[in-house]
Amino acid sequence: MIVRHLARVLLAWSALALVGAPARAQRFPGGGGGRPDFSAQFGNPDDFWSHPEFAGNPVYDGRFTFARIKYRGYGHFTNEGPGWAHDYPTADEHLMRILKEVTSMRPFILQGPVKGGALVALDDPALFRYPVSYLSEPGGWHPTALEVAGLRKYLLKGGFVIVDDFGFGDWANFVEQMQKVLPGVRPVPMSGKEPVFDSFYKVDISNVRSVRGRAQFFGVYQDNDPRKRLLMIVNYSADIGDSWQWAGQGFIAVDATNEAFKLGVNYLVYALTH
Amino acid sequence: MFEFLFKYRPAVFEQGDFAFGARWPLVVILVLGAAIAAAALRGYGAAPGRSSPRDRLVLRGLRVAILVALVFFLLRPMLVVNAAVSQRNFVGVLVDDSRSMRVADHDGASRADIVRAMLDDRQGALLTSLRERFQVRLFRFGRGAERVDDLSRLTFDANETRLADALDGARRELESVPVSGLVLLTDGADNANVPLADMLLSLRARSVPVFAVGVGAERFDRDIEVRRVETSRSVLKGSTLVASVLVRQRGFGGAAVPLVVEDEGRVVGRSQVILPVGDEAGVVKVRVQLDQAGPRALTFRIPLQPGEQVTQNNGQGALVRVRDGREKILYVEGEPRYEMRFIRAAVEADSNLQLVALQRTAENKFLRLNVDGPAELVGGFPRSRAELFQYRAVILGSIEAGFFGKDQLAMLADFVGTRGGGLLFLGGRRAFAEGGYAGTALADVMPVVIEGTAATGDEPAFVSDLAATLTPGGLGAAVTQVVTERDTIGRQGKGAPTVAEKWGSLPAVTSVNRIRRVKPGAVTLIAGRQARPLRQGLPAEAAGYEQPLLVYQRYGRGLAVALPVQDSWTWRMGAGIEVEDATFERFWRQMLRWITSEVPGRVTIATTADQANPRSPVTLRAEVVDSAFTRLNDAQVVAHVVNAAGDRRDVPLDWTVDRDGEYQGTFTPDGAGIHSIRVEAVSKSGGSASDSAYVRVAERDDEFVDAEMRASVLKRIADETGGRFYTPARARSLAADVALSRRGVTVVNEMDLWDMPINFLLLVLLLGAEWGCRKYRGLA
Repeated sequence: MIVRHLARVLLAWSALALVGAPARAQRFPGGGGGRPDFSAQFGNPDDFWSHPEFAGNPVYDGRFTFARIKYRGYGHFTNEGPGWAHDYPTADEHLMRILKEVTSMRPFILQGPVKGGALVALDDPALFRYPVSYLSEPGGWHPTALEVAGLRKYLLKGGFVIVDDFGFGDWANFVEQMQKVLPGVRPVPMSGKEPVFDSFYKVDISNVRSVRGRAQFFGVYQDNDPRKRLLMIVNYSADIGDSWQWAGQGFIAVDATNEAFKLGVNYLVYALTH
Repeated sequence: MFEFLFKYRPAVFEQGDFAFGARWPLVVILVLGAAIAAAALRGYGAAPGRSSPRDRLVLRGLRVAILVALVFFLLRPMLVVNAAVSQRNFVGVLVDDSRSMRVADHDGASRADIVRAMLDDRQGALLTSLRERFQVRLFRFGRGAERVDDLSRLTFDANETRLADALDGARRELESVPVSGLVLLTDGADNANVPLADMLLSLRARSVPVFAVGVGAERFDRDIEVRRVETSRSVLKGSTLVASVLVRQRGFGGAAVPLVVEDEGRVVGRSQVILPVGDEAGVVKVRVQLDQAGPRALTFRIPLQPGEQVTQNNGQGALVRVRDGREKILYVEGEPRYEMRFIRAAVEADSNLQLVALQRTAENKFLRLNVDGPAELVGGFPRSRAELFQYRAVILGSIEAGFFGKDQLAMLADFVGTRGGGLLFLGGRRAFAEGGYAGTALADVMPVVIEGTAATGDEPAFVSDLAATLTPGGLGAAVTQVVTERDTIGRQGKGAPTVAEKWGSLPAVTSVNRIRRVKPGAVTLIAGRQARPLRQGLPAEAAGYEQPLLVYQRYGRGLAVALPVQDSWTWRMGAGIEVEDATFERFWRQMLRWITSEVPGRVTIATTADQANPRSPVTLRAEVVDSAFTRLNDAQVVAHVVNAAGDRRDVPLDWTVDRDGEYQGTFTPDGAGIHSIRVEAVSKSGGSASDSAYVRVAERDDEFVDAEMRASVLKRIADETGGRFYTPARARSLAADVALSRRGVTVVNEMDLWDMPINFLLLVLLLGAEWGCRKYRGLA
């Protein structure tokens, strides 16, 4: 995992070196929390990066469909694209296969060129077809006002978001953006005794580790009250999507991969039952 | 005119027997007549003169007719009539003393005024005429007949009109004396709700004719009447109650009037209703939100409109028991899916609903949610009746029939049919025919027709996008009432939408269950119409594809409901749905209340009526079953009745023997107000259960319901007993008619008919015709 991550980091740095500017500076032009400006190199930052493997969203037929949130710009760009696209679509497809294998669910997995699930923007009405969604690399996420409003509406109406693949440097941005979505929100550290870690598998979160170290889990609750509905589960200092993607490839240890899948299955079963 | 021409009233002809009173033998008169006729005819034939054969034929005919008439009169026709002997017979005069007689529908005079005028001491008044011929016994009646000596005892204050009881009571009172008949002065507005046939049979068998005088207008000019209110007698707290109010109008057809619902004087509902057009009463629906537990004495009232003739019939009461219990519902879901998550969220905060979820997450792996303890559902779906029947309703999600054993499927059918529970079938790829339910015990329970075999493969073979449309039945159903007056978001000052508008604005849902037909007797509340371009899997004829979205039927004692959609959660998450929009939550709360609303417990108490008059006995009927809902005949059943003052008494209920598990007892309420009744049953094994009910004891206002004079009822009573029906204006001959009733002590009267004026008129006409004919033909 470390090798892979390092390779990815190196690739990212290489790409950034090619465009001749320090990544940090590009990510936060002006030194604040604004949107990175890659327009000169990649095109309009107000557009979505086009994933080469994306062949459209599955036609909705009621089956559970994994939904990955895409955001504008090029935050946390690597060879896999911006942060939101990391591990797509293999991770999504692998998780759905596991879901079908171990649960009674029959999710959408693959149909022709369409793999894994759907890509949805937070200001796209289609988002509301997918009450459970996945946000990767929130460190590079800089939502527009419409996206903020969309996510707010989504969460308050019953949506559930899994936030994954970020570390120390990304936390501030995540919290900053979430303050726009839910003013006053306070992610609550989770102990591991919450039902979400026991909805299908009993997961010991102390065993969950990533290249960033030991994973920490936070919950975003309705009204910041852990007794109320869980709106978001935040895998901080973790990257379970990476484990889904590289399952069976040998890059990541079997135990870690297992824990990642267990968490993924738990999150989805929990979100569909609670 | 009839009496002038025919000498007697029609009643005399009806009652009398025809006879000839000539002293000469009939043969002699006939022979003599024939001889005279022959001579007259010969006279015309012998001296034809200038007359033609046609003239002679006419003249012969007239002459014969004159002779025949004369012979007939010589035979001395008469009526033989049995007339009552004066003052030897009795007549019972029954005066309606009920409150409906206060209605002033006779040129400003009340019905009571009309009756008093008929019974005063004037010469020619009805009572005076009767007293000239009969011994008169005066009765007043409401609930029953009561003998009175004079008119001062009439109060017109009785709150019931029981014609059968009154007539029967008067007949019994006069049983030992010769009776010529009973005279009934009433508006006929009987409200006993018992058939008259038995009473009529009894009167006819005893030869007691009833002479009925119908007092009042057969049809009001202007009036609005709230005739009846039909609603659930027991609902869960927080339910929206939809009441069907039967309204009849006279002179207000098509008018828009408010219908107000009050709970002990507090307005809890208000609707603008359009009054039905025509003579038939129409049903209007009104909804009431009931958030306060306990017995709610609701009044449904249309404010008095200008010009109404009856002011007391604009409201009706209904007693509704609002339960503050917690209804336990089992939701079985075969796969984790959004439907369960959103339904659970919708009812989670509702303290009156406990949605226990049995979620299959994998093969032989279940997630139990909201259970009462670690033992509940630990073995999966219940395997015994006692275990299953503890729930008031069951929801089957996307779970295939093969998941259940054959016994469990039969048990689920019994859960509805025998236990009286509610069963809701949700759509999904493992539901209905696609779930392999065709041919199972549950296929009979479903309100829809399912055809085909279980679906295979992960991808649904059929998907339809359906927009919800309320049917006429759905417009007034409690389950579809998802709008409140506060739902004005995005309405730009137009106020809350109507229920139909709200449902029409909801996003389309999808179904993977191909259902085209509902069972005979099932009711579709919401229809689904194809909302988007057709998808693969739809039938070729599906350009206007429709399928039922919400259907129900009664099955045995219970309720079976089908909602064959897989994503009703879209009504919550849809992009156009605002965060504050509570349509989905309201729908599901109403849905769960609906499917549990009429579900009986182990003891079910029923009263003859939810409202009783003071001192009228109230019958209590209880059904008692054990935990498996097998009827118990050996339980100890006692009703604890507490009146409005808090006084308690115990009323034992005994097994009726006629029906298994049925117990009955009676108590008479003391004092007005709401009486609470709690029935406790203890079985031989020591198990106990109870149920509660309420009875409101008050003077009923039924006297002013359907208060138009019912001539048809009175005519029937008169016709079937051999009497006559009169209006007050025609009642002058009543005394004389009673005298001819042939009942009591009678004397035979021979009443000549030969000297009727019409006879002489006839002779003059015939003679004049003969003379005129001769004159006209120049034969005179």
